[in-house]
Amino acid sequence: MSLPDSDRSSSRRILSALADGDATDSEVARAFQSWRDDPDARASWHAYQLIGDVLRSDDLASEPAADAAFLVALRARLATEPVVLAPQPRMQEEAVAQPVAANASARTRTRWQGPIAMAAGFLAVIGVLNVAGPFRHGGNASLASNGAPASGPVLASTSSVGDGGVVLTSAQTKAAADQLAPYLAAHRQSAMSGPFQMPGSDLRNVSLVQPAK
Amino acid sequence: MAMINPDPDAALVQRVKEGDVRAFEMLVVKYQRRIERLIGRMVRDVDLVADIAQETFIRAYRALPQFRAESAFYTWLYRIAVNTAKKALVDMKRDPVMTYTSLQGSDDDDETYRGGLEPTDGETPEALLASKEIAATVNAAINALSEDLRQAITLREIEGLSYEEISDVMNCPIGTVRSRIFRAREAIAERLRPLLDTRDGTRW
Repeated sequence: MSLPDSDRSSSRRILSALADGDATDSEVARAFQSWRDDPDARASWHAYQLIGDVLRSDDLASEPAADAAFLVALRARLATEPVVLAPQPRMQEEAVAQPVAANASARTRTRWQGPIAMAAGFLAVIGVLNVAGPFRHGGNASLASNGAPASGPVLASTSSVGDGGVVLTSAQTKAAADQLAPYLAAHRQSAMSGPFQMPGSDLRNVSLVQPAK
Repeated sequence: MAMINPDPDAALVQRVKEGDVRAFEMLVVKYQRRIERLIGRMVRDVDLVADIAQETFIRAYRALPQFRAESAFYTWLYRIAVNTAKKALVDMKRDPVMTYTSLQGSDDDDETYRGGLEPTDGETPEALLASKEIAATVNAAINALSEDLRQAITLREIEGLSYEEISDVMNCPIGTVRSRIFRAREAIAERLRPLLDTRDGTRW
């Protein structure tokens, strides 16, 4: 494949940087494409490496045909080798995966994440309602809203559980919040005086003085 | 601009680990001559040198998934080459001209160490002449470079400095260092290309 002079110069510039370990990720990808498609890129890479070797020692100068023959012979052997694939960190693996594979993987995750998240959400609500049973009284409260206004009753944001989270109707939300209000008030009071109080909290400790009987 | 990697081969190694055999070919082209010279210090037979070098790269390719980058890639490859050469010598029951012990007595990192090798039967006079011509051309080309270009390529290739270190030494931006080194390589390669055209139809 023959490239225009500007592309060829750009390709060589990238190969020079890659030889010194200074190429960016996109440049590295482009360099590999050049190596695959462009004989000039392969010849330039060889020339740059040969120049470096000769600058270090004259006895590293070798006949170029021998270098090419060495690679041709090695290619034949590499062709019979299984492709090496080292385990990659998850983030990196996703970054280098082919888009189609990445989409397929995402679809697979979505299929099982949704039902599990939904089941977990229901179990959490049922558990909280059971615990809150003894505290059922009237009153309004806000519950664990992530930045949501506290003006009305809000039940645990579902944003953290992904697409499969539980969404309640406003009536259900109000009823649940009403039931949970006393439990939460007791919980807050306990937390303020307990050993796990968060440092730097704007909540104040208060002590309850029992009148002497 | 990417961060300078401690190991300049890190990007290539990573691509090989991801299954890109082309990256390994680039590493082969980079290190083949150094590996052959190393093996040549242990084994006199030139044909055997080439075979052991091939075996070294195949072993390295197979073992790359286990390479943890605790050393530079070339250091790791160097060890594989030494072990492969030792094993080949044992297997073939040949006596090395230079033993591994004597090799260790020299400075392993000294790239200019010649080992006192004499030409062997496998090296034709034509091949030797071609090698000498290439060396002479590179040396003449570098002498013809401007001071800035010569200093940049020398600091990189001979002194092994990173771009960042060269920018400090030459008091110029890293982008300028990168440009100067590329221009130096291109100026030398321009003189070298007529000699690098393969004569037997083999193409890169």
